[in-house]
Amino acid sequence: MDETLKDLTTQSYAQGFVTDVEQEFVPKGLNEEIIRTISRIKDEPQWLLDFRLDAFRKWQKMTQPDWGHLKLPPIDYQDIIYYAAPKKDKDRPKEIDPALMETFEKLGIPVGEREYLAGVKDRREVAVDAVFDSVSVSTTFRKTLSEKGIIFCSFSEAVHEHPDLVRKYLASVVPAGDNFFAALNSAVFSDGSFCYVPKGVECPMDLSSYFRINASGTGQFERTLIIADEGSRLSYMEGCTAPMRDENQLHAAVVEIIVEKDADVKYSTVQNWYPGDAQGRGGILNLVTKRGICRGSGAHLSWTQVETGSAITWKYPSTILKGDNSSSEFYSVALTNNWQQADTGTKMIHLGRNTRSRIISKGISAGHSENSYRGLVRIAPGADGARNYSQCDSLLIGSNCGAHTFPVIRNANPAATVEHEATTSRISEDKLFYCGQRGIPEEDAVGLIVNGYAQEVLQRLPMEFAIEARKLLQVSLEGSIG
Amino acid sequence: MDKQIYILGRDSVPEVITLDSPRDLGMILVALPGTSLRQRLEIDIQSPGCEVELRGVFLCTGQEQLGFDILVRHSSGGSTSRQLFKGIAGGSSHTEFNGLIYVAHDAQKTKAWQENHTLLVTPEAVASAKPQLEIYADDVECSHGATTGFLDEMEQFYMRSRGVPEAEARKLQMISFLSPVLSDLPEGLRDELINSL
Amino acid sequence: MSDILLEIHDLHANVEGKEILKGVDLVIREGEVHAVMGPNGAGKSTLSAVLTGNPRYQVTSGSIRFRGEDLLALKPEERAWKGIFLSFQYPVEIPGVSITNFMKAALNAKRKAVGKGELSPAEYLSLMKEKMAFVGMGREFAKREVNVGFSGGEKKRNEVFQMAMLDPVLSILDETDSGMDVDALKTVAQGVNSLRSPEKSFIVITHYKRLLDYIVPDIVHVLKDGRIVKTAGRELVDQIENGGYASIG
Repeated sequence: MDETLKDLTTQSYAQGFVTDVEQEFVPKGLNEEIIRTISRIKDEPQWLLDFRLDAFRKWQKMTQPDWGHLKLPPIDYQDIIYYAAPKKDKDRPKEIDPALMETFEKLGIPVGEREYLAGVKDRREVAVDAVFDSVSVSTTFRKTLSEKGIIFCSFSEAVHEHPDLVRKYLASVVPAGDNFFAALNSAVFSDGSFCYVPKGVECPMDLSSYFRINASGTGQFERTLIIADEGSRLSYMEGCTAPMRDENQLHAAVVEIIVEKDADVKYSTVQNWYPGDAQGRGGILNLVTKRGICRGSGAHLSWTQVETGSAITWKYPSTILKGDNSSSEFYSVALTNNWQQADTGTKMIHLGRNTRSRIISKGISAGHSENSYRGLVRIAPGADGARNYSQCDSLLIGSNCGAHTFPVIRNANPAATVEHEATTSRISEDKLFYCGQRGIPEEDAVGLIVNGYAQEVLQRLPMEFAIEARKLLQVSLEGSIG
Repeated sequence: MDKQIYILGRDSVPEVITLDSPRDLGMILVALPGTSLRQRLEIDIQSPGCEVELRGVFLCTGQEQLGFDILVRHSSGGSTSRQLFKGIAGGSSHTEFNGLIYVAHDAQKTKAWQENHTLLVTPEAVASAKPQLEIYADDVECSHGATTGFLDEMEQFYMRSRGVPEAEARKLQMISFLSPVLSDLPEGLRDELINSL
Repeated sequence: MSDILLEIHDLHANVEGKEILKGVDLVIREGEVHAVMGPNGAGKSTLSAVLTGNPRYQVTSGSIRFRGEDLLALKPEERAWKGIFLSFQYPVEIPGVSITNFMKAALNAKRKAVGKGELSPAEYLSLMKEKMAFVGMGREFAKREVNVGFSGGEKKRNEVFQMAMLDPVLSILDETDSGMDVDALKTVAQGVNSLRSPEKSFIVITHYKRLLDYIVPDIVHVLKDGRIVKTAGRELVDQIENGGYASIG
């Protein structure tokens, strides 16, 4: 296969367009005044401004982490615009700009409810919070959801309409000073999604956030807070895209998930940020902190992620298993091609008794990319009967890429078991020949084999997401072999 | 393959071993109770046709702080390495296994395998493992596995139901757990280890 | 006489630098069933690999023509589209890929290559059903991952199922009898026999007589040390059974 290996090609990234819309910005750079300005634009209460400023002061004393297996380009934090929002029509402030509607429609994101009202029932209903640069432009099905007591809205609205909930849970899982990028996010976050499912309620439809970066020279710093109260159930999906540009753009998000007693949250991500071109120019720097806590007994949190985008991914969706008998899973497919770099994995912190976790990670490296799994499994002294199983597989396509596995296991309990396995393999010539003999061309065969390799993870995704993820895997592999 | 035995803290263990021609290397690192140290070992395989067999056995019963930093570097392809480390952490000991398999760009046809299993037998003991793979070549077979766990209760019950006293049953389980790494040790050393269980 | 389908002339081939085929000549006409027999290491499997374009094998000289066209210039999938099928001696496992999806990819690639549109899901499913029944497979079979966790017999049956699905012109059965009990062998042979027609040809590669009791060849070749040393009718099979390969050539 080496002879047929082609390094460079134009990778198709169908979401790489720019929307021409008039936007308002805060001035470039980061200082207390900028933070005050963002807070003022959003008409925030004093406590939230204080929270931001505290985070900013923490951030100023911190240094950017360099322990990832990544070559991070230098980031000039003073050269970024921290807030960009499409201008509202002064006469019709409640209406969504048709250009934005069009953008999300083009991306396949249903920002209107009309297609369902018109009786199109071949898709499952999904409520969407659509975030464009620094603001949420639309959240659908709010009324249907609120009938069940479910709150689903933009973060900014939640601050005004449900300040007690926001204040209670914000930074309760990811403290402002947790890490460099979380501190930055806490200082400058603009918008994101907020979700609260009350006691005993099963959310009647999947909820979803869609993040779109559009403006040049900006970063996106969204904040998502999800609370599943006792005995509730929720399936949440997240998607994201950005235009093709030669510059790197920063995306530093924080997601916090609180899962109370016997509640069940499934969080799925298909990450398709612009990965940069075949020469490694441009692309999103995706530096994200996602963490959930299973607070009560029997709580369950499941992470499923398919990562095909970003120039750089630095992301470790993690779970603190505090409640007895709580459980969590992390299912991940990370594909890197061309010059992409990914350092991703999870942390499972077992505090409660009989807590269970399972980690299935499938890395795929092609081109000149670097793909690392990094994980921590920690069993605290009190976590009697805790169990973890981890399986981390790497698939290499071509001989110019790297595939790495960096797990850490720390067990302080003699009544707990931790098992970790990792393998590295490539797509054997035997497999390709077998497919070829059946008439399947090489590029299709690679796609088929990679999809099969990732199947254990893909089957966890909600149906439509899974279809999208399969297509993405195929598209992202284009040019990995000739 | 003949394996050289090193008693940690007594025998001096080379920190770096370079294999620049096809050859076999067999080593067994033994940590007897009371050994507190960090053992560093780097094996750099620079030639095809090398076979490396590295084993470790450790037994901690007190307040030992025992660490292994093992790097097996496949700078050249066409060689094979196998590592098996098994140990028991008792008392209030802390054990740590850091093992990195590094496969350089173009070190094709490398086969590298690493296993690390630790039994925790007391509530105060802590076992850590960092089994790592850093791979830059595609035509390779590499894997690692690590487990930390405890003595199987069903197994114990089975033995006790046959009349084996509890302490004896535990000892038998530990011997069985360690047996893959004990088999190559000379009788005297093996007995010493077994008697300290 | 019917038309020539396959014509191999003075074929030499290497694997890992070692010459295995040392001048093979073979002509196969439409509708004929040829048996290629020979001792271990004679080059039988190499012949099937070279016919289907396995990149591990290098053809150093000679030619293969399929319906007059130079086969050696074609990629494995292009040969498959022309109607050449190999039932592998060791079928390959493809984890995570269901037989349904695998065959769909294969069939649609072939249809595309010959300028036909994709089968509709309904058409495809009814074809699957028909062919599964044909080789005696249960319904759950379609969902299983390609060859993963299959017994030896199941793997071979899966090969014959795929043969039936792809409807080839020339089928090569490479040691299909190895690792099979008599019952599985009969089922497979029945399947193959019912695919026989005046247009379709078969090459049955085997070490033993066993399979040839069920799939009766028209012509039998003995391959020894990279060359065909004897060609005759089906009576040759019994000669080998009685006298061994030493008695030939």
